[in-house]
Amino acid sequence: MDTQVKEIIARVLNVDMGVITDNLSSGDIPEWDSVGNLAIISTIEQELNIEFPLEDLFDLTSVQSIIDEVNKLLNA
Amino acid sequence: MRDVTHSRLLCTIAEHAATSPCKVALVAGASRITYTQLVHNIHCAAGYLHSRGIKRGDYILLSAQKELEFVYLYFAAHLMGAINVVVDAAAPQERLDYINGIIHPVAAFGAGQSDVAQSFTSFHDIQLDLDAGKMEYDSHEICSTDVADVMFTTGTTGNPKGVCLSHDNIAGSASNTNGFIRTASNDIEALALPLSHSFGLGRLRCVLMAGATLVLVSNFANLKAFFNVLATEQVTGFGMVPAVWQYIKRISGKRIGQFADQLRYIEFGSALLPIQDKRLLMELFPHTRLCMHYGLTEASRAMFIEFHENQDNLNSIGRPASSLVEVSVRDENGLPVGDGVDGEICVRGNMVSRSYFLAHDNENAYFGDWFRTGDWGHRDSDGNFYLTGRKKELINVGGEKVSPVSIEDAIIGTGGIQECACVAIPDPNGVLGEVPKAFLVKQGATLTVDEVKQRLSAVLPTHEIPVQWEWVDSLPKTSSGKIQRQKLKQ
Repeated sequence: MDTQVKEIIARVLNVDMGVITDNLSSGDIPEWDSVGNLAIISTIEQELNIEFPLEDLFDLTSVQSIIDEVNKLLNA
Repeated sequence: MRDVTHSRLLCTIAEHAATSPCKVALVAGASRITYTQLVHNIHCAAGYLHSRGIKRGDYILLSAQKELEFVYLYFAAHLMGAINVVVDAAAPQERLDYINGIIHPVAAFGAGQSDVAQSFTSFHDIQLDLDAGKMEYDSHEICSTDVADVMFTTGTTGNPKGVCLSHDNIAGSASNTNGFIRTASNDIEALALPLSHSFGLGRLRCVLMAGATLVLVSNFANLKAFFNVLATEQVTGFGMVPAVWQYIKRISGKRIGQFADQLRYIEFGSALLPIQDKRLLMELFPHTRLCMHYGLTEASRAMFIEFHENQDNLNSIGRPASSLVEVSVRDENGLPVGDGVDGEICVRGNMVSRSYFLAHDNENAYFGDWFRTGDWGHRDSDGNFYLTGRKKELINVGGEKVSPVSIEDAIIGTGGIQECACVAIPDPNGVLGEVPKAFLVKQGATLTVDEVKQRLSAVLPTHEIPVQWEWVDSLPKTSSGKIQRQKLKQ
């Protein structure tokens, strides 16, 4: 799942997979701006058939935090 | 500062350094730069440019990055009469190639990934030269009406248009804006807007002209980090486009209301912001000046409206920004029309550009000395202006102006569509304001919509890829064969 989430982020931001490290945060690269962040959220929701709770969106600030949230929702 | 009478902006910054030498002008990460240091570093940067053989009237490309070196070089160019062409180095290769091809810059600074941007001298390398303290430069015979910056905007025909802004224009815009918003020397502003746009670059100039402190923030994507900056730096103001407000609401709910007591102003860029959002902002920020500007790169911040002071006409785009700005509604012959009558909104004043970089772009751009905005609207009997339509067909995607022609060219460029047209539609998600919709002509099509989208993703930024697609038998056209996009929007 970790790799799948990273692949989605890389594809949405149109950057190489190598750029998408666990610690990469929104705003760290020009491609990951607010529009890119919204695109990441909606693409993950569509492709993995999950829905991020609104109150959790504020804390989804890094690749790792998104992976953790996806795993939490899929295992719930 | 040496002879800087040509630049009221630089004169004012020098005055701040003289009167408040230890006042912090810029914060970037752990660096805090005082006005004294700022002036010194601008001089050093001018010396550096001189050592590179750059002189008055030369064009330099500056990559719009939130780096201190960007600020030093930007003002250094003004100091010695060189002309800044501020670009987003991450912009599509085609756009950078076009700008590079018509400007013929003598040097490029910053960093980027595209072929053109690879020739940029990195800010990191420049820092070494700035530290060496080169101070030689020449600033004789520079006039306040000389071009200081060329900013490229999206043109309706697809090619970007270079807007020439004089030293007087950029100082005029900053003083008009500060006068309305009331930005003062005790303000601390967070700048998360891109510097490659007129709005973000304008905020940089406004804050430094006011003698206030500017905190450079990468962007709004990481709201947790942005809110942390608001708290730790005790920020009193910032600027955002309506799409960022929708983003803040979506990602953080009403958390931003916790800063209501410390935020003295918020400036909004001109784009669709629903009345209910204006009311929500007034509720969350009862004591903050909520100022929305109307303007274009060619006529920056022509009008303003403050929400609390205009509760009964929140759908207005406001009134002229200062007594030095005039706004007039005119008919197709350039004659003024009466109150309540729709016409083209035209602007003249201290901040209005006198010409485009390419002479042919000036055709039909002015009625005498009145700049034609391309927007339609009217004035009421109280002097408030209202937008009713846009003559220009640009699509405003979250503050990014997108030419329908450039999307159409990219769709045709996929090789599987013979004819198409793109228009703006309201963002179905209610975040970006407008998004593109594509109409594809069935005849001659050899690709599916999914295949077109896939091919577009390689050549267009995500925000330029249409979110809605419709197959049609034909496109509405004028007798001369021009596509009538307005009819597709109906």
